[in-house]
Amino acid sequence: MSENQPTQNSVLNKHNVDRVMNIVGKITFYILVGGIFIYTVFPFYWAFNTSIKTEQQAILPTKYIHDDPTFSNYEAVFNNEQFTNALLNSTIVSSISVVLSLVIGSFAAYALGRVRFRGRVFMMYAVLAMTMFPQISILSGLYGIVRELDLTGSVMSLVISYPIFTLPFTVWVLTAFFKGLPSELEQAALVDGASPFQVFYRILLPLTLPALVTTGLLTFIAAWNEYLFALTFTATNADSYTVPVSIALFSGEVAFQDPVAEIMAATVVVTIPLIVLVLIFQRQIVGGLTAGAVKG
Amino acid sequence: MGTPRPVNQYGRRDPTPQEQNFIYATAIFLILLGIGSIGTLLYFIFTNEAIKSAIDGDGSVVLAYLDGFGISIPIFTIGIGLGIAKLGYTLLRHRTITAARWTVVALTWMTIGSLVIGVVRFVVSGQPDDVAGETGFQLASALASSSTFFLMVIPLALTWFGMNSIVDTLFIGEEPLTSANSRVAWNLLIPTVALLMVVAVRPLEETFITSVTNKRFATGEQEVEFIGLDNYKQLLTFRFDIVECRKDDNNECLVNERTGKVRWELIDRDLLEEGYRTADVVGIGGGRGVAISGTDDDFVLATFNTLRFTVISVILELTLGLMIAMVVNSSFKGRGLMRAAMLVPWAIPTVVSARLWQTMMRDNSSGIINKFALDIGLIEQSKAWFTEANLQLGSIVAVDVWKTAPFMALLILAGLQTLPEDIYEAADVDGASKMRQFFSITLPLLRPTIAVALVFRTLDALRVFDVFQVLLGRQRLSMATYNYEQLIANRDAGYASAIGVVIFVLIFVFTAIYMRILGIESDQ
Repeated sequence: MSENQPTQNSVLNKHNVDRVMNIVGKITFYILVGGIFIYTVFPFYWAFNTSIKTEQQAILPTKYIHDDPTFSNYEAVFNNEQFTNALLNSTIVSSISVVLSLVIGSFAAYALGRVRFRGRVFMMYAVLAMTMFPQISILSGLYGIVRELDLTGSVMSLVISYPIFTLPFTVWVLTAFFKGLPSELEQAALVDGASPFQVFYRILLPLTLPALVTTGLLTFIAAWNEYLFALTFTATNADSYTVPVSIALFSGEVAFQDPVAEIMAATVVVTIPLIVLVLIFQRQIVGGLTAGAVKG
Repeated sequence: MGTPRPVNQYGRRDPTPQEQNFIYATAIFLILLGIGSIGTLLYFIFTNEAIKSAIDGDGSVVLAYLDGFGISIPIFTIGIGLGIAKLGYTLLRHRTITAARWTVVALTWMTIGSLVIGVVRFVVSGQPDDVAGETGFQLASALASSSTFFLMVIPLALTWFGMNSIVDTLFIGEEPLTSANSRVAWNLLIPTVALLMVVAVRPLEETFITSVTNKRFATGEQEVEFIGLDNYKQLLTFRFDIVECRKDDNNECLVNERTGKVRWELIDRDLLEEGYRTADVVGIGGGRGVAISGTDDDFVLATFNTLRFTVISVILELTLGLMIAMVVNSSFKGRGLMRAAMLVPWAIPTVVSARLWQTMMRDNSSGIINKFALDIGLIEQSKAWFTEANLQLGSIVAVDVWKTAPFMALLILAGLQTLPEDIYEAADVDGASKMRQFFSITLPLLRPTIAVALVFRTLDALRVFDVFQVLLGRQRLSMATYNYEQLIANRDAGYASAIGVVIFVLIFVFTAIYMRILGIESDQ
């Protein structure tokens, strides 16, 4: 108390300056946080805002808030067979990709993560290289094969081609998880006479269940969002569109131009499930991706 | 063999005559399978329609073979076939436990493999052929092409079952640990390796093969010819020339009224006659510019677009990502919500984000970006963000940055949280400013994280397809969309393949760099 006495009357009291600076800092900080939040979220607000307009309103000069909402676009979107088919197709293709990659990939990841054998390092490099494999560079070769198999315009073409990116990714992320598990359990089980395969599916697999869920989710998102193969192989047949292709080539009831409001309704519909997933699994998603990207 | 001896101390005994016969039968079965798989391969090669007509003098045999079968899968088949035959031979001569266990592995995967191939062929052959006017599932052709594989499953499964039940009682010797380990490992790796062979290695190889041909996806009959490196020559021939700008009477550079770009003189007539076309000119001051010309100016321009897009977007994403990460790293209310908000742009399909921004950036005041920029006086009249040539690249970068920067921030955030707290405390005690702390502590410590994120993003940006395809279509091409256009619009498989190979090589170089940075520990 007594030490503050001499400067107490001055406006430039150090304590006061600190407080002011602190408040200014806080305000700037929250403005920054708010700015980042608006930057990331605003396009979604705008999609919703546009989706509740009529097509005529959507191409007129706009206002920040639309005050005459209509939900007819959502009705139209769900009556649009091309779009509902696409939702179904994407669900089928993504689910098959996830199950296939998890089953096959977890075997490989166990071998790479826990067993020492000749050729392990080579396989690790091969898998890592494949996670970065540019899909575009095999597009024409794959298209030739798909044509030869008579699969153009069929969802099957996507089922057979999606493991190209889902499988190496799954193996790579799961290998990181398997490596992180303690080896005592496994050794104890081996001493007790369990076979390596029993160790794998009785002991290690249950332990990696959370990792499997995360990896499965990431794989699902990757397959769900894939556009290049889907566009190239299925563009000739509207029944086989996946969600991205359907949204890119959306044709609504108004044929002469892009049905903006309807497209936005469709994007809102496909975005909501992803937002829900992200809200539930955000910690695991970031964890899984950093495991895949940062750890060796 | 006489009467079987009693069980010895290792729980093993000699086989009964029947059992010994079963082992011999298995061994011979393996030898037959091994030779048979090679034989089947040869049978398929010699009965292939394209190869038959090539042998009759209708085109190149080598090309027909490579187009139909490639290199990796035949080598793989022959290798596996010889391996299995050798295993059978070993089993015939010695009753060793190592050989027996490898036999079980081989039988397991051959059983599963036959089943899977059978199912795939069943489903694929059953697809109705639109050309032939078929509707519904074609059961007859589905069964015809898959029955051999389904029938093979029965003996394979039975042999597997038999071997599996005697492997630990009748075979002698100890399996060395290295052999046991690699048996377990390869047992688990086989499905991954096989699947990746079929879906990744084979198409890649097919792309390389097609890139040296003039193959087209045409409806009619067409002879595919080997044309060497012509496709690559056409793609990769480019040169730089200094050109002057066109001058008006006052000796000032003329500017195109509509686009606002300087008008340049053409390159030498001789070069034009050689087939060079100028893709772009970069001004270097003094009324002069560097003209980049190539025999395929579209590809040169696409490469140029891609490189510019890559450099600008990666730099912006890193800067913005770092800033966002620093802000979100401090604790505040609603941090969880903030993180979720940052993940959402990453989680939605790129096509969706492209459509979102397309709506926001509509070319009149129905677009919110134009409306906002007009309201705050940033622009005087609405801009056509995706059609005005000098705005296109910037607009595409903006869309990409919105989708990727928050995710970059999350990766950096994960790195930030591993930094030790006490360094900062020490820096505070020493009176270092926050700015100073950022540049001399945070940035150096984050270097590995940033390096990984950078290379990752660079790889993604170099193969950019989705945003370009949805927002610019054919107006302005990236390397990947150019590849797509050549393949789908021009049906030029050979040329498209060469582009694919060029992209592959480019990305391979970056991947090699990435792996150097990341490093895989050699053997624990």
